[in-house]
Amino acid sequence: MKSEKSIAWLLLLVVPLGFAGIWRLQHGIDAQRASISEERDEVLLRSPKLVKAMSLEYAPLLADIYWTRVVQYYGNKHLRGQANLDLLWPLLDITTALDPNLVIAYRFGAMFLSPAAPGGAGRPDLAVQLIQRGIQANPEYWRLYEDLGFVYYFDLKDYQKASAAFLEGSKKPNALVWMKIMAAKVAAEGESFETSLFLWKDIYDTSADPSVKKNALMHLQLLTVKEDCKQLDALADEYAKRHGKRPSRMSDLVQAGLVRGIPRDPLGFPYVFGEGGKAELNLDSPLLEKQLMFDRFKNVVP
Amino acid sequence: MRRAGVVALNTFREAVRDRVLYNLVFFALLMIAASVAVGQISIGIEQTVIVSLGLSAISVIGLLISIFLGVALVSKEMDKRTLYTLLAKPVRRSEFLLGKFAGLVLTLAVNTAAMAMGLLLAMLYVKHSLERSDTVVLVAVYFILLKLALIVALALLFSCFTTPLLAILFTVGLYSAGLYVQELRNLPIEVMSPPMSAFTKWLSYLLPNFENFNVMAMAAHGRVVPGALILQNTLYAVVYCTIVLTAAAAVFSRRNLK
Repeated sequence: MKSEKSIAWLLLLVVPLGFAGIWRLQHGIDAQRASISEERDEVLLRSPKLVKAMSLEYAPLLADIYWTRVVQYYGNKHLRGQANLDLLWPLLDITTALDPNLVIAYRFGAMFLSPAAPGGAGRPDLAVQLIQRGIQANPEYWRLYEDLGFVYYFDLKDYQKASAAFLEGSKKPNALVWMKIMAAKVAAEGESFETSLFLWKDIYDTSADPSVKKNALMHLQLLTVKEDCKQLDALADEYAKRHGKRPSRMSDLVQAGLVRGIPRDPLGFPYVFGEGGKAELNLDSPLLEKQLMFDRFKNVVP
Repeated sequence: MRRAGVVALNTFREAVRDRVLYNLVFFALLMIAASVAVGQISIGIEQTVIVSLGLSAISVIGLLISIFLGVALVSKEMDKRTLYTLLAKPVRRSEFLLGKFAGLVLTLAVNTAAMAMGLLLAMLYVKHSLERSDTVVLVAVYFILLKLALIVALALLFSCFTTPLLAILFTVGLYSAGLYVQELRNLPIEVMSPPMSAFTKWLSYLLPNFENFNVMAMAAHGRVVPGALILQNTLYAVVYCTIVLTAAAAVFSRRNLK
């Protein structure tokens, strides 16, 4: 009886102290593992056919698991700001082979694959391949044509193919009317602020995923900044014509009656004129960091 | 402690008598076959294949022994009624458990060391010489042994309060979950609600993290494992085994053996 009690007391002492030690040790082990920067092999089997054969009748379930791994892989790389997304395609390849009707894998997968770093893997060619595979398996789903047009428009800058994708999608059941309008507009104008704004706004409005919404919102804001700066530069040219010198501050434009008030970016921070006399984001604006990040990875925001 | 040592030594003897070490023959045959075959079927990855295959075999064989024998450590003694004879002597239940644990870990250590020797011989056959960087293979084997000790402790804990079949299922389940602890911790925070995120984080520290002991890929590519990691993993295994064995002793001391 005495022995039983002493063991119970020992247990009460050992469990909290032990797990506190485990907690601390695990942090140390994680740090060590991170320092040796081992690339964990996320894809042991790279053959979709083999994985499908091995999955027996559980292929759809396995597809869900693989899709979760895609999200985790992309999310982890994204959070750590790592540009190397080499395993994204094999994971998506296996996911869609396991379940060809998993539409979300084509849609989001293309979104992960297509944009250049830091937003994606910079492989629009693979994104096109993925969506076309999705269209083949789900020919009536018009949103896939929208995604295809999106990749051609933003990342490949192939406006004829973008227009063709929008037009083809507009013929599908339940396709929204704007698909046809977009097809004509992209064919006639190529890239334009209104079209880009509309496409990102559609992503923002229709997506239920918070991270996709956040990404679309950021693109919308940067797009607005780009257009604002373009217009402010035009006004600065006008000011230079009238006064023989470029404006050094935004208040110069206000005093000249070219704008009503100090122009502000989408987050409410006033624009400024940079050293080259061009309009740009205020140093205090959080959007500046985003803009610099995209410029660093040479991804021109349309 | 001396009494636990006697139990440990007898557990080891019993395992040897039960022909547990016969698996070494299987391992030797596998290594010989792989060493000969790998040169015929692959180019440039002979060492990688031999090391990966060897370490995997050591791990799988060790797992089978640790789970099945670990669960049987207590239940077999009860079934054969030898436990009652033993406990009638001046041996505490906790000492009996500790001795059983140490005995099986000793068996696994001997078994694993013999297999490691076999693996090194196979590497020598394939590479014609061994380099200093090959010591990483021994580190990987040591980590496997730490992992196996933790599994034995878990199997022992479960066998103290449930049937052998359920104890096997619980151990296998916990081992499988422990392999994905890292995944649990790496789940993107953005896609989870804050309570779920906190829950998975806590769970990831409570579950035994078996992925800590996996350096097979590093060993296969001859990459150095830092000394600090060896020390931390050793401490991790010791602390976790202490927690589990204390819990097992607490459960077993209260168990009605009538």
